[in-house]
Amino acid sequence: MNAENMEYLTIALPKGKLFKLSSELFGKIGFTAEGLTEKSRKLVITNEEKKLRFIITKTADVPTYVEYGAADIGIIGKDVLMESGKDVYELLDMGFGKCHLMMAVPKAQKRAKLTDYAHTRVATKFPHIAERFFNAQGMQMEYIKLNGSIELGPIVGLSESIVDIVETGTTLKENDLEEIAYIMDATARLISNRVSFKMKFERIHGMVKALRAVMEQEANA
Amino acid sequence: MEKNQMVLEIPYGTRDFLPKEAAAKRLVEQKLAGLFAAWGYEEVVTPTVEYLDTLTMGNGRALEPHMFKLFDRGNRTLALHHEMTTPIARLAASRLKEAAMPLKLSYISSVFRYEQTQTGRQCEFYQAGVELMGQAAATADAEVLALAMEGLQTAGLKEFSLCLGQVEFVAGIMEQNGLSEEMQENLKSAMERHDIVGLEELVDSLKLQKSAADGLKEIPLLHGDEAVLQRAYAMALNERSRRALDNLSEIYRLLKSYGLVSHVTFDLGMIRDFNYYTGMVFEAYTPGLGFPLCGGGRYDHMLSDFGMACPATGFAVGIERVLLAMERQKLKEPTAAKDIYLGYAPQNMEEAIQKAMELRRQGKVVELALAAQSEAEAETAQREKGYDRLEYLA
Repeated sequence: MNAENMEYLTIALPKGKLFKLSSELFGKIGFTAEGLTEKSRKLVITNEEKKLRFIITKTADVPTYVEYGAADIGIIGKDVLMESGKDVYELLDMGFGKCHLMMAVPKAQKRAKLTDYAHTRVATKFPHIAERFFNAQGMQMEYIKLNGSIELGPIVGLSESIVDIVETGTTLKENDLEEIAYIMDATARLISNRVSFKMKFERIHGMVKALRAVMEQEANA
Repeated sequence: MEKNQMVLEIPYGTRDFLPKEAAAKRLVEQKLAGLFAAWGYEEVVTPTVEYLDTLTMGNGRALEPHMFKLFDRGNRTLALHHEMTTPIARLAASRLKEAAMPLKLSYISSVFRYEQTQTGRQCEFYQAGVELMGQAAATADAEVLALAMEGLQTAGLKEFSLCLGQVEFVAGIMEQNGLSEEMQENLKSAMERHDIVGLEELVDSLKLQKSAADGLKEIPLLHGDEAVLQRAYAMALNERSRRALDNLSEIYRLLKSYGLVSHVTFDLGMIRDFNYYTGMVFEAYTPGLGFPLCGGGRYDHMLSDFGMACPATGFAVGIERVLLAMERQKLKEPTAAKDIYLGYAPQNMEEAIQKAMELRRQGKVVELALAAQSEAEAETAQREKGYDRLEYLA
């Protein structure tokens, strides 16, 4: 956050499936800008009239932009936020982007109890969340960080299990995997930089109230 | 890499201050030291290492994982001080027991904490602050707050905002809802993590009456000018929370007399990361810095942990954070004066030494060439070293 940015409110939006949903929702409260699309070549899209600035970043980077104050607020999945461990305000559950984190294993090699998997390898994009979960079960695991196609891990013998997000369960089924432990639910969250929330409180709080109103209206419609 | 080019590493989270940086730091420290003295605060110095048990006495063990620990020859655990309030409370309760109250002490010191480092957030960092002991009234809190704001201004910052809260308000609201100890901890922890969504989920799980639930959810949003106090009074149903608000009103009224309310914002959901606070708490923020640059509050029970029941209040400001904020806000950075470079021809060495001594006695910053130079050489040296002007004895 730069001093001259006091005027502007900078919003970080993640690329991918959350982008459309969040930019639409922001649009409903009048927070939008000309040329705000995922394919925009411009990295920063400004609405001069409303003093808004949008930046579109890789999903996992949103909490970083917000923690450092390069963006005042951002939209991000709870799963990514938890994994990042960043110190930001979590202001609002946006309700969309619903999924849950779980542990899955190949159906054919399913063991009797969860603890039977202690000291085995688990492939995941979320090693921190996974570690916290397994520690709470008193299990030590070997974490293998992957950046995509986590399901591949057990198939090619890289790991005994996976920890990943699931929306519908189709991918699991297609790869003969079975969920054996639920870890947490995740939805998209509105987050804010710690200092921005204090120094631009009226604007940010006003925005939260407007978003809440739109969401309630839609829920009741 | 060639061997003679090797840069030796320094431990994680530490830094060097090169001459310019050290000069800027020293100037800010001098300004703050002068201000503290002008307000009647006397400086104290405590050891960098203390017994771990002493340092964790007031604050419990919450911060222990963040402390630098070592053993003495008798195998007792020592730790580097991770903040200055506890060592000064120890000092006041043991060595200054007989001193006239209220006790007004100040310090400028480095403190050590294991942290994920960022710019402006190192494992070893410098703090300046004051502790005011022996006065429970709002006058003491107002003085400390006023001094903190004066301090930021004196250091050179123009734009900052000071958020003011009261831990007893939050505690009182929780008490009036009859929440279990465990639930109170969970709620406070959610607030401390700035997790408003988590707080709302916890409150919903309690199945309270709607007004009570809304009140709890409202706490982190009680943010703004004096009007916030009125909203808070409407929520405060017990003695404890109301007294906390009375205390804040009183402090605010006093700050008006100091002429310093323009920077003050109420933030009643504030939870500070030290759990020894018992009353007013505050943090100061400035544009360009993603974390507070100054904070403090009242801690009435800590001294009794050291055997002397005595109310106390105080604050600390992060020196590097002030410097960083000024740099980011493009304010003129404090720099040390460099007045004169004094060069001379071979036959004038004696005269040059005398001249340099004379100029220095007049208060000028003078660098005297250590060998005779031509005028051109002297000019180059003056430029490279950044002196305002050259004097050359031809």
